[in-house]
Amino acid sequence: MSKPTLLFVDDEERILRSLTPMFRADYRVLSTTDPSRALAWLRDDKVHVIVSDQRMPTMLGAELLRQAREISPATMRLLLTGYSDLEAAMAAVNDGEIYRYVSKPWNMQELRQTVGQAAQIGLRLAEAYQYVTTTPAAQPINILVIEGDDAGAGNTIRDIVGQGCDMECKLHWAHNLEQAMELLMQKDIGVVITDLHINDQDASATVKALKRYRPHVVTVVVTRFRDNNTLIDLINQGQIYRFLPKPISRGLLSRSVQSAMQHHRLLRDSPQIAARHAVEPVAETPQRRLPAQLSGFINRLRGGLSQANG
Amino acid sequence: MSVAVTIASLTIPVSPISPHALVEDVGEYFLAPENEQLLSLPVVDDGRPVGVISRYQMMNVFLKRYGRELHGRKEIATLMNRNPVLIPVDQSMEDASRYVTGNMRFPITEDFVIVRDGRYAGVGVVMDLLKAMEQQLSSRSQQLARAYRELKSSQSHLVQSEKMASLGQMVAGVAHEINTPLGYVRNNVELFLERQRLQAATLDGYTLLLHMMESADSSEAGIALQLDEVRQLHADLGGGDETESLLDDTLYGIGQIADLVSSLKDFSRVDQAMSDDIDINDCLETTLKIAHNTLKHRVQVVKKYGVLPALRCMPSKLNQVFLNLITNAAQAIEQQGTILLRTYVENARAHIVVEDNGKGMPPEVMAKVFDPFFTTKPVGQGTGLGLAIAYQIIQEHGGDIRVASRVGQGTRFVVRLPLPGASDDALAVAS
Repeated sequence: MSKPTLLFVDDEERILRSLTPMFRADYRVLSTTDPSRALAWLRDDKVHVIVSDQRMPTMLGAELLRQAREISPATMRLLLTGYSDLEAAMAAVNDGEIYRYVSKPWNMQELRQTVGQAAQIGLRLAEAYQYVTTTPAAQPINILVIEGDDAGAGNTIRDIVGQGCDMECKLHWAHNLEQAMELLMQKDIGVVITDLHINDQDASATVKALKRYRPHVVTVVVTRFRDNNTLIDLINQGQIYRFLPKPISRGLLSRSVQSAMQHHRLLRDSPQIAARHAVEPVAETPQRRLPAQLSGFINRLRGGLSQANG
Repeated sequence: MSVAVTIASLTIPVSPISPHALVEDVGEYFLAPENEQLLSLPVVDDGRPVGVISRYQMMNVFLKRYGRELHGRKEIATLMNRNPVLIPVDQSMEDASRYVTGNMRFPITEDFVIVRDGRYAGVGVVMDLLKAMEQQLSSRSQQLARAYRELKSSQSHLVQSEKMASLGQMVAGVAHEINTPLGYVRNNVELFLERQRLQAATLDGYTLLLHMMESADSSEAGIALQLDEVRQLHADLGGGDETESLLDDTLYGIGQIADLVSSLKDFSRVDQAMSDDIDINDCLETTLKIAHNTLKHRVQVVKKYGVLPALRCMPSKLNQVFLNLITNAAQAIEQQGTILLRTYVENARAHIVVEDNGKGMPPEVMAKVFDPFFTTKPVGQGTGLGLAIAYQIIQEHGGDIRVASRVGQGTRFVVRLPLPGASDDALAVAS
C-alpha cells in the first residue's frame, strides 16, 4: 500500500521546513504557504490529513478547513496554532469540524503520534466515504437536552429544539446529570445538546466519556462559559460537534441541531466513519479522580459496548 | 455619629406665659433657675404663640427710673414683641437656620418659638441651632473628605486596571507571536537530537566494522553481517541532510524571539522617570513591534518619520499613549486599511500624527473620546479610560492631543510635545 499523504499549510515557511523531515520517512508530505494551493491539492489529489495554521494573510485556517471539508470530506483536519483566541477555536469546531487542535510550540513525539493516528483513520475513511449511502430517516432520532432547572423560562434549549422537532426527532429532557446518564443508558440517543454547567455540575467529563464509548452520538454544547482551554479539551478529548455561545441564537441552534442529526445518521449508517471522532484519552491523576457517579456511568457504557460487540 | 435632622431635637419645653401675666411677675419668671439660659420667654394664648418677651426688653423697663413702678402692674402683652420668629417643629435644621438668621434681629436678644401645626411646642435657642449646624457641617466635610479619598484611590485603581488590561492584551499578543518561532525552534532541536542519536549509532556501527576488519579472528560472515547492519543504519539516516538549514532556521527563530522579548522590555521600560534623550521615532517603532499582532495581515502601516530632536520625556508612558492610538486605529479599520504614522517639527513642537482610514466617528462621539469611561466598545471590552489616560500623560509632558474624524473616511490624532529649548516652563509645571 502506498504511503498516506499529509498536507501542511502555514504562512511561516520555517514551520513547513521543520515539519517535513519529521514525517518524510513514513508519509508523502505536501506543504505550502498558500491556502489556495492547498485547496487545489485537495481537489486534485488524495490527501489523508491536512494540518493548517490558523492565522494566515489570505485565509484563516478555520475557513480553509471548512472548504477542505466540502472538497474532500474524507480528509482528516487538524489545526496547529500559536494563537489561543476563543473565536478561532469556535470556528475550528463549528466550521472546520476538526479532529485535533494542537498548540504551538508542540511536542514532536506527540505530534507525530497524533498525525499518525489521523493518517491511519484517514486511510480507512478514504474507502468508507466511497460507500456512503444516506438512507431516509426510518425512525425519529432521539435527542437528549441536558439543561438545568435554572435555565429560566422561554427561549430555553428545550423550547427551541422542541419546536424544531416534528416527525424527525423525539425530544428527551434531563434536568440533571444523573437523569441524563439514565436516559443515555435506556434510550437510543443520537444527539445530545447540553450546557457545560448543569445545576453547578460540570458536564464536560460526561461529554468526553460519552464520545469515547458511543462515537456515533453527536454532541452540541451550548454555554455561557468562555474558556479557550476548556474548548480545546472538548475538541481533543470530547470531539464535540458544535460549540455555541449563550445567549442562545435560535436560528444557529436550530441549524446546528439539524446538521447534528444529519451527522448522526451518517455515523449510524456508516459506522466506520465514526472512527474519525476517536478521542484523546483524558489524563487521570490521583488528584483528579472521576466522581463515583461518572465512573459508574463509564462502566455501564463499557458494558454496553462489550455486549454490542459480543 | 448621628446628626439631628429636624429642629425637634433642639426643642426646650419652656412653660409659656399668658399675655395677661403682669410685667413684674414675668420678671420673677426670668429669675427662675430653669429659665436661666433663656434670652426670652414665649407668650402663648389659648395654645397659640402670640409673642415673646425678652430679658433685654425687661431690663430696659426696669433700668428706667420708676420703670418697675410705672409698668410693673401692666400686662406683659403691652411690652412683648408681637412678631416672634416661629419655626415648625418638623423643619430641617438647614431651613430653620436659614430662616432664623434671616429674620432675627441683632444683637440677638430673643429665642425662637417652635410650633407644631401652629400651636406652641417649645422654645429653641439660636446658639444651640448654630452649634448643631456647625457640627453637621463638620461631619459633612469629613464625609466629603472621605468620599474624595475613596474616589481618588478608586481612580488610581481604575487607571491601574486600564494599564493592566492593555498590558495584558499586549503581552498575550506578543506571547502568541513568540509561539510560532518557538514551534519550529523546538521541533528542529528535537529533530536534531533524533538525528544525532541515529548518527551516533551509525558511527558506532562503522567503528565496530573497522575493528572487526582489523582484528585477525573475525569471520568473513561476521564482517558481512556487520556491513549489512551499517548499510541499514546509514540508509535510515537518509540521504538529504538538511540539518544545517534546520539549524540556520533555529538560529533565526531564536533571533526573532530575542527581538520580541527586547521590544517588550523597551516598551515597558521599568524606569518611569524622565529621560533626556528619547527619540520619539524609536518609541513608535517599539510600539509597532508590540502591536504587530493586531496589525499583521490586515493593516498596512505607512511611516513618514521626520527628523526630531531628542526629547525629555517618560518613554514608557508615551509608548502607552502610542499603543493606545495605534490599537484604536487598527480597531477602527474593519477589513483592510492603512495607518499613517507621521512625525515632524513645527512651531517648536514635535508633532506625532496617527491617522487611519477606518470607519471614523460622528461629532457626538468625537466630542467625548477623551472623557473618562466613555467607550463605544461592548461592556467588558474597554474600560473607557485609554484615551483619558493618554490625554493626561500628554498633559504631564506639557503637550496636547487633538482629534479630527469623519465618518466613513477615518480619524486623525495629533500629539504635540514641546521641544527641549521651548519646553522648560511646561516641563517644570509637569514635574
